[in-house]
Amino acid sequence: MAATACRGLFSIAKHASKSVVPRVVGTRLCSTDLHPTIRPVNAVQRQTLTEFGQYVAECLPKYVQKVQITAGNELEVLIAPEGVVPVITFLKDHTNSQFTSLADLCGVDMPSRAYRFEVVYNLLSLRYNSRIRVKTYTDELTPLESITDVFKGANWYEREVWDMFGVFFANHPDLRRILTDYGFEGHPFRKDFPLTGYVECRYDDEVKRVVVEPVELAQEYRKFDLSAPWEQFPNFREQAAAEVPIKEEEK
Amino acid sequence: MASKLARAGVRQVKPILSVDHGEARQRVLNLYKAWYRQLPYIVMDYDLPKSKEECRAKLREEFMKHHHVQDIRVIDMLVIKGQMELKETVEIWKQKHGLMAYWKDTVEPKPQGFLNKFLDGHE
Repeated sequence: MAATACRGLFSIAKHASKSVVPRVVGTRLCSTDLHPTIRPVNAVQRQTLTEFGQYVAECLPKYVQKVQITAGNELEVLIAPEGVVPVITFLKDHTNSQFTSLADLCGVDMPSRAYRFEVVYNLLSLRYNSRIRVKTYTDELTPLESITDVFKGANWYEREVWDMFGVFFANHPDLRRILTDYGFEGHPFRKDFPLTGYVECRYDDEVKRVVVEPVELAQEYRKFDLSAPWEQFPNFREQAAAEVPIKEEEK
Repeated sequence: MASKLARAGVRQVKPILSVDHGEARQRVLNLYKAWYRQLPYIVMDYDLPKSKEECRAKLREEFMKHHHVQDIRVIDMLVIKGQMELKETVEIWKQKHGLMAYWKDTVEPKPQGFLNKFLDGHE
């Protein structure tokens, strides 16, 4: 936005005097307010997203627990697990949102939390050219409601989350493995799954078939440090998740 | 105070399938029966070098592995996984080696005692 505005001004200057071109290039290189490595903040878009987040929180006070804006312009709505279907249906069908495209659905494992799995729904609104991220949480044994009735495309995504994390989706039409081999044990994306897996397959010449044997390799204790060690802009990381104030539900 | 503590100990959770132990038990028995009835066909379809009796013993062993489980939700989850596995087996999505892996006949037992472990290269 700021860049286009500057370019517009420069083009006006260009029309005003013919010999201005080299000076313009010099100005662009020397200017202090243009940082090509830092993403510009779009205040208008941010304001729109903030207002939309507050609107969603006001419409669904029972389910929305927190609204935040990450990385400057990404709206995140954190909801209670029982509200997945109502919230996704609202975002898809409401005339002011129309998030009719499910871009992605994935899981995250955070073993230190009481509800260790985070399930993330990324939605895209083609009507308003905007994206939203809906996050919820669950654990190994709490079923999450499937959204295949709302988005048909969620079918395989939910199968993938089931296969990789072992999050059970209730009312899914065809919940079975999708990426791992038949007979595979465990859920590979869980943090407590060893890097080598539990078993190894090899062809055995004596019994003339593939055999499956437990594998035992010493593995160092893994400590999961979620903060990036190569962080060069900690100030921007601090600002990453800016919480949008929402009205508390009246008890 | 005591009631508050007791309430903190008992957490209300959402059931997966069953609401009480009787229902969970019935699901386990149904799954066992379904496997039991499919065993002759599985042996025939996969051309397993095992008899029906051996397969039944293995089936019983696999179920008895989890006989100590009391949590209804854990039982339900195991039943769901067993059901998925039965479907994979009956539809012949699995291969022969996948079924023979239950017997673990090529796995050498772990060495016992210091000298055996030393000879095996562990200590």
